[in-house]
Amino acid sequence: MDVAAHPVEQHEAHDHIHPAPTGFIQKYVFSIDHKVIAIQYFVTGLLFMLIAGSFAELMRIQLWNPKGTFMDYHTFNQMFTMHGTVMVWLVLIPLVTGSLGNLVMPLQIGARDVAFPWLNMLSFWLIPVSGLILFSAFLLPDGAPAAGWTEYPPISIQQGTGGIFYCLAIIVVGISSTLTGLNFLVTIFKMRAPGMTWTRMPLFTWATFATALINLFATVALSAALLALLFAQAFNVPFFDPARGGSPILYQHMFWFYSHPAVYIFILPAFGVISEVLPTFARKTIFGYKMIAFSSLAIAILGFAVWAHHMFPSGIAPWLQIPFMILTYLIGIPTGIKIFSWMATLWGGRIQFTTPMMYALAFLGTFSFGGITGVYLACVPVDFHEHGSYFVVAHFHYVVGGGAVAAFFAGFYYWFPKATGRMLSEKMGHLSFWLFMIGLTGTFMPMHWLGLEGMPRRYASYEVFAKAFPDAVFWNRFESLSSSLMVLSVLLVAINIIVSLRSGRRAGNNPWGARTLEWMISSPAPYYNFKKIPIVLDKPYDFTQPLPYRNLDDEHQDPYPVPSEAALPRGATAAVGA
Amino acid sequence: MAVSAKARSSAFLERASVEARFHDVDPVYAETRDIRTLGFVLFLLADCILFSSFIFAYLYLRTSAPVWPPVVDGKQIEHLDVAFGAMNSIVLFGSGVTMHFALESWKNLKKAAFNFWIVLTIALGLGFLSGQAHEYLSAPMTWTGSSFGASFFTLTGLHGFHVFAGVVFLTVLAIQANRGVYTGSKYFGLVAGTLYWHFVDVIWVLLFFLFYLW
Repeated sequence: MDVAAHPVEQHEAHDHIHPAPTGFIQKYVFSIDHKVIAIQYFVTGLLFMLIAGSFAELMRIQLWNPKGTFMDYHTFNQMFTMHGTVMVWLVLIPLVTGSLGNLVMPLQIGARDVAFPWLNMLSFWLIPVSGLILFSAFLLPDGAPAAGWTEYPPISIQQGTGGIFYCLAIIVVGISSTLTGLNFLVTIFKMRAPGMTWTRMPLFTWATFATALINLFATVALSAALLALLFAQAFNVPFFDPARGGSPILYQHMFWFYSHPAVYIFILPAFGVISEVLPTFARKTIFGYKMIAFSSLAIAILGFAVWAHHMFPSGIAPWLQIPFMILTYLIGIPTGIKIFSWMATLWGGRIQFTTPMMYALAFLGTFSFGGITGVYLACVPVDFHEHGSYFVVAHFHYVVGGGAVAAFFAGFYYWFPKATGRMLSEKMGHLSFWLFMIGLTGTFMPMHWLGLEGMPRRYASYEVFAKAFPDAVFWNRFESLSSSLMVLSVLLVAINIIVSLRSGRRAGNNPWGARTLEWMISSPAPYYNFKKIPIVLDKPYDFTQPLPYRNLDDEHQDPYPVPSEAALPRGATAAVGA
Repeated sequence: MAVSAKARSSAFLERASVEARFHDVDPVYAETRDIRTLGFVLFLLADCILFSSFIFAYLYLRTSAPVWPPVVDGKQIEHLDVAFGAMNSIVLFGSGVTMHFALESWKNLKKAAFNFWIVLTIALGLGFLSGQAHEYLSAPMTWTGSSFGASFFTLTGLHGFHVFAGVVFLTVLAIQANRGVYTGSKYFGLVAGTLYWHFVDVIWVLLFFLFYLW
C-alpha cells in the first residue's frame, strides 16, 4: 500500500482556520463563504422581486378597466405565469432559505461554515442561470410560458416552446434547492458547537432543519414532475396524454406532491424568524420552546400528506377527497400551537417597537388570517365553489405576502446589522413597514369578497363579471392603487440599504441585546466566524439567566446583553432592556 | 472543501482519539469522513425520491389503464422478455458482489485483489449496459407510443444513466486508488463508490419486478 504518496497533513482540530481569500473574484463573486453567499442570494432575490413585482403591476394596470385593453390576453397570460413562477422559485426560495438560512444558521450553531461550502456556491450560482433560462423565454416566437405557474398539461404542452424553458429553469432551481437542503441537513447534524444538543438549538435553526428536510425530499419530486413534463413537451412522451394511456391528473399529483410542501419551504423559515424576533424585542423567554421546535417538524411531515387538496375540482376520487380534507385541517394544529406560543411570549413582555418587531407583530395577524382562509378552502364543498376564483389568490397572497415576505423583512431588518455591521434607518424602516402592510391589505383584502362573488382568477378581462357585480370596478381600482404601495415599500428598502451602507450607524456586536450565538461575534462576522468554537450550556432564550456560553471570542461579553445605543433612535439615551 | 476542522462535541473528540490510537486515523479526517458519508447517504435518499416519483407515475398509469399491457393500434403490446431481463439482472447483481469484494480487499490491504475485483465490476457494469442496449433495440414498444413505453424507457433510461455514471465513477476511483490517493485508513471515495453501486443495484431489483415479473 502506497501510504506515503500523499503525506497526511496533521491538523490541530481546534485551530484549523483557513485564511480569507484576497482576490475580488474569490471574495465576492465565486465566494465559498456562507455569509457572502447569503448576500448574493439576497441581492439576486431582491432584483427578481422587483421584476416579478413589475409583472404584477402590469396586471393591475390591465385590470384597471373591466375591458382590459392595456395588453393582449396572451401577454396577460405570460405576465401572471411569470409573476408566479419568478416569485415562488427565484424570489422566495433565494430570499428565505438561501439568504437568511445561509447567513444565520451556521452562526447560530457555532460553525465556521456549512458542511460543503463549494456545493453552497454551486447552489447559489444555479439561481442566476435559472433566471437567464426563464427570462430568455420572452425572446421565443410564442413568448414566455403562459399556462400559469403550475403549468398544467395539456395547456402547457399546447402552448409552444415556452413551457420547455419553464421546465429547464425550474429543474435547475430544483437542483440548487436540493443541494442546499442536503448541505444544511449535514451542517446541522454534524457541525453544532459542543453542548448544543437538539433541544438547545435556536428556533431559527430548528426551522431551517425542518425546511432542509422538505428541500431535500420534496424538491426532487418536483424535478421529476418537470422532467416528465419536459419529456412530454420536447419528445412527445405520452405521460399526460389520455389518447395514449397517460393522464393530465398524474401531473397534478406529481407537481403538488412537491409544491404543497414547497409552501412550507417559505413559511417554516418565516416561523423561525418570528421565533427569534419576538423574544428579543419582548425581552422575554420564548414560550413553549419544544412545542415550537417540534411543531415545525410536524408541519414538515404533515405537509407531505395534503397535496391533493389542490385538486378537488380536478376530478379525483371522492373517497380520496375526505382524507385529504381532514389531513389538511390537521396542519392547523401545529400552526395554532406556534401562533399561541408566540402570543404567550408577548404576554407580559416589555415590547420594543423596532422595525423587525413591527413586521413580526403584523405577521401574527396577516399570517393567521391567511391560514384561516386556508382551512376554509380545505373544506371540499367550499373549495369546489371558490377554487377558480380570486378568493384563492387572496388566501395565497395573505400566506405568502403577509406570512413569508413579512417574516422575511422582519429577519432582514433584524440580521442586516449582523451581515453588514451597520444599522438601517428605523424611520425609513417604519415607513416601509406601513407602506407594505397597507398595500398588502388594500390589494388582497378586497379579493376575498370579489372571489366570493365569483370573480374568476387569471382572466385578462372581467367585463361579464362587472355587469353582475358593478362594485368590482371600484374594488379592482382600489387594489391596483394599493399594490403600488408595496412596490414603494420594496424600493424604500433598497434606498434604506444604500443609505445605511454609506452612512449607517455602526452596529457593534449585539445591537438588539439578543442572546443567540450569532450576536456574540463582531458585525460583520469575521471570515472564520468563531476563533474559538464556543461551548453551549443551555437554550439561548432565558433573559433572566446569564448567557449560556463558554469559550467565547469576546471575553468581555455582558452576561445580560441589552440593546445598544446604536439600536435606539437618535437622541434616546434611556436604558431599555431586561 | 469543508475540511476546515471543527471540533465539536467532547463525545466526538473522545471517540476520535480512540480511533486515532488504534487505527491511526487523525480526528480531522475522521470528522470529514463522517460529514461526507452523511452527505452522500442523503444524496442517495434524494435520488430514491427521483425514482419513486417516476415509479408512482408508472403505478398510477398502470392501475388506471383498462388493460395491461395497453393496446396500441388495435394490438396489445407483448410482455418483455423475462429470461433475457433475468440474465441481465444477474450480471448487475453479480457486479454488486464483486464491488463488495473490491472494497473488502482494499480494507485488508490486498491491492492486487482490489484491482481484479474493481475491473471485474466495471466490466459487468458495461455488460449490463450493452444488455440494456439490446433490450431497447428489441423492445416491443416505443417511448412515445404508450404509457407503458413512456414509463419503461424513462425509468430504465434513468437507471441506465445511473449505471453509466457509476461505471465512470468506479473507473475514476480505480485510477485514483492506483495513484495512491487513498490509503489504508483514508478511502472515503471507495466507500461512496460502493454505496452508489449498491444503490443502483437495489433500484434495479424494483424495476425488474415492476416491468418484467409483474
